[in-house]
Amino acid sequence: MRTLATKSLAIGAALAAALAIPAVRAAETTVSLCDGESVMSIPGLKPGQVLPPDEARRVAVDMMQLWRKSQGETRWAAWTKEAEAARPEPAAAEEKQPTKFTARDQMLWKLEEKKWVEDGYKAFHNSKALGGTIGISCDMCHPDATNTHPETYPKFQTQLKKVALLRDQINWCIENPLKGKPLPDGDPALRAVEAYILSARKGVALEPGKH
Amino acid sequence: MKDRYDKYLEDREKYFDRVVRLGRRDFVKAAGAAAAAAIASSRLLPHSFQPVDVVNAAAPERSFRFAYVSDSHLYERTLNERFVRAILKAVDDVNALTPPPDFVLYGGDLAQLGQPAELGEGAEILKALKPKVRMMVGEHDWYLDMGEQWRTLFGKDVYSFDHKGVHFVVLNSVIVEDYWTGPKLTPMERMQAMAQLDNPNGRPFTVGDAQRDWLASDLAKVKPETPVIVFSHSPLYKIYKAWNFWTDDAEQVQKILSPFKTMTVIHGHTHQMLSNRIGNIHFHGMLSTAWPWPYAPQGLPKLTVRMNRSDPFDELDGCGDGTVDVFGNGRVDKQYNSWSRNPVRVSAAYLESDGATDPPARESDVNY
Amino acid sequence: MRFNRVLVWAAALAVLAAGLARAGAPPVALPKSVPADLWELLIPPDNPVTPDKVALGRQLYFDKRISGDGTVSCATCHDPAKGFSDGKKVSEGVGGKKGTRNAPTILNAVFNEFQFWDGRASTLEEQAKGPMINPVEMGMASHDAVVQVVRADAGYRAEFQKLFGREATIEDIVAAIATFERAALTGESPFDRFVASDKSALSASAQRGWELWNGKARCNTCHPFGEATPNFSDNKFHNIGVSVQGRDFAAIARRASETPDPQQLAFHPDFTELGRYVATRQPKDIGAFKTPGLRDVALTAPYMHDGSQSTLPDVVSFYDKGGEANPYLDGGIVPLKLTEQEKQDLVAFMESLTGEGAGSPTRADLQPPKP
Repeated sequence: MRTLATKSLAIGAALAAALAIPAVRAAETTVSLCDGESVMSIPGLKPGQVLPPDEARRVAVDMMQLWRKSQGETRWAAWTKEAEAARPEPAAAEEKQPTKFTARDQMLWKLEEKKWVEDGYKAFHNSKALGGTIGISCDMCHPDATNTHPETYPKFQTQLKKVALLRDQINWCIENPLKGKPLPDGDPALRAVEAYILSARKGVALEPGKH
Repeated sequence: MKDRYDKYLEDREKYFDRVVRLGRRDFVKAAGAAAAAAIASSRLLPHSFQPVDVVNAAAPERSFRFAYVSDSHLYERTLNERFVRAILKAVDDVNALTPPPDFVLYGGDLAQLGQPAELGEGAEILKALKPKVRMMVGEHDWYLDMGEQWRTLFGKDVYSFDHKGVHFVVLNSVIVEDYWTGPKLTPMERMQAMAQLDNPNGRPFTVGDAQRDWLASDLAKVKPETPVIVFSHSPLYKIYKAWNFWTDDAEQVQKILSPFKTMTVIHGHTHQMLSNRIGNIHFHGMLSTAWPWPYAPQGLPKLTVRMNRSDPFDELDGCGDGTVDVFGNGRVDKQYNSWSRNPVRVSAAYLESDGATDPPARESDVNY
Repeated sequence: MRFNRVLVWAAALAVLAAGLARAGAPPVALPKSVPADLWELLIPPDNPVTPDKVALGRQLYFDKRISGDGTVSCATCHDPAKGFSDGKKVSEGVGGKKGTRNAPTILNAVFNEFQFWDGRASTLEEQAKGPMINPVEMGMASHDAVVQVVRADAGYRAEFQKLFGREATIEDIVAAIATFERAALTGESPFDRFVASDKSALSASAQRGWELWNGKARCNTCHPFGEATPNFSDNKFHNIGVSVQGRDFAAIARRASETPDPQQLAFHPDFTELGRYVATRQPKDIGAFKTPGLRDVALTAPYMHDGSQSTLPDVVSFYDKGGEANPYLDGGIVPLKLTEQEKQDLVAFMESLTGEGAGSPTRADLQPPKP
């Protein structure tokens, strides 16, 4: 019962809105809490209509007050205390190492990173920038960098018949569908395209070797 | 692998199973229709037993077949020979069909950047098609000069015609709101913006008010029992807005189409196998001759049996052309002639039964 | 069946990767460049390789009595003096009857996943059975007839008794022949030495050829070289348009696509050009033939399944022009736009694949046995 109470306190507010049960009567909706007893009606809300977030939050707060009244102040105080005790220690913020680089520096870096990604985006969409000769550009098979799977490299690339990195496969595509000459490793356009592809897959877990 | 004789026994069993359930009149009808179907189709062996479904044909018209070639995205030959080779292969495929199809639908995006040289080259190549060609426009054909060259070469972009008891409508479903006048884009800039599928500033395709009105009035003259087939470049339903696999006024268009008992939409633009049913409307995508698009990250209709990813080494993989069989009752089976892969048939029965019967063959053997 | 094969390969490669140590040396001496681990994994457990069995297989291989008119042995068309092919466009069997296929080499055939140009046999044993009863090849009436010939020979009787513990059966006969073939490995070619880090082993031209092989000429897509592919074959089937030359291939190709059962076309003069399709009945396999291995390729002219390309320069030109267009041409076959020098470089590279030393195709243990 205690854990139930703690849980209710901790997430009750969010659940309250989610548990809205539309009533059969038109132009009014009834919401109830998970205790099955606390019930509140929201006039003017048609069944199936969705509350905007702030209104929903207000309903949740009102519901909690309703419940609090039903439980009595002493119990409320005891459970509040328990909930706070149960709350985990806020994780010690990972101490950021002191650095000589300032916020302004970081802003400049972000600008330059953005430029690389933009250059890559442009080259991705314009094959001439990569030396392509037949007007086929990367986005024709990879709109929004779909199906590029940069997170799976290095892997055995079946087109190259050997283990390769992303930029090796980019070069293969430049040579084959784009009908250009493969670019040297340090080529800015090649690296920019790699940057764009990687940025498009931000957040995806690394899985080298995945086929 | 089934022995020929085993298959024969199986077919024979199925046939007699159904025959027993027919009344005498229907039996005679079935026998006649089956014989006609066997002659019309080129795939059947003389001793195979025909399914008895043909007895359910509402209309007395015999079935026919048309072919399609779509999304060729031609550049001038001197720049890009690969796309030219591909469309020539499609022309060969269509011309080799026996018996010849009643007509060929060109599904749109004949040119890549709408240039006169590209459209002219495409028009020349399509002249080699033996059957009559019905042209449909795509966005790559239109937005360089707003369809001027297209209309000169091919005539009206929106029209309808009747063929063997079926009413056909051809739409220009790539109308978008004006995005070029404000920023003062040049025609080529306008075209290139439209040519980028993943353009984050792209405007959604529509059929538009005027054309919807025309469609409603055109269809007002058609009886609801008449089978109708609509050709559209955009899908006339909503798959993935970011790539304009989308028609913004789809619901309104579908409303105009839904009163018809047998309604099929054949669309281009998506360069992949796509199948869907919304209410009584069947939707089939067409393959491109030039390149395949990947499937969108969301919005894929559940009835679609996906193609396997294509091999970038193989210039034909994931591309192709195809045919559409139209049966006496107006129902449509779609055949994908998928280059470098086995052909796939998506039948009306599959869509009608919501995927329960006659599922299309899944690719068992991946190219890479 | 196919799925199991994938599992076997996956297991094989896993073992390779794990570098499992094998107890003792391989049963026969292998050329240095042959990956011993892979070779051993490809030997079927029910037909292990032993020197005695190799010797018996060799005897059978060169034995002309296993033919309808006593003039044709395996070695007639797979002749050690000609790279284990026969130098002809298509082979000629009993009574000089002409077949429809160019004889592939048996050298390194153990590394083929499938045997025959259409891949219908999945083991060397299965393959050996075919030519024996083929009326235009060895022309025996049946496998029983083969067994009778073998049992009638006292020397064979003793050997079969010793090795198999029973009178010869057709299974045992082909097992022995297959074992001889499994030992017919070549290697230690100039290319192998180059790959093993002797950079002077290849001429400059051949080295350029190797670069082109993996680059502009795109050969490595179907003819790769690697740990798991020592034989320059992807073990797949491709239509490169060979069948088009001198025939109306498109006609039978389109007919085949509309005829559910290819056997219905068996009497069509161009039936054999359907290739892999006859075995799989998949329309995409129409006109597709097996990618052969390329070791010792300089010795096995003429080339392709019908011997239509006479020399290696002809082969390179064939690919350079993009094969021959037909409804089922593999989409990876496209014009290459090679320069004359590049074509020569590719030929030089292929010529560097001929085995030498302990890996030579002309070494003593591959010659006919002394009578």
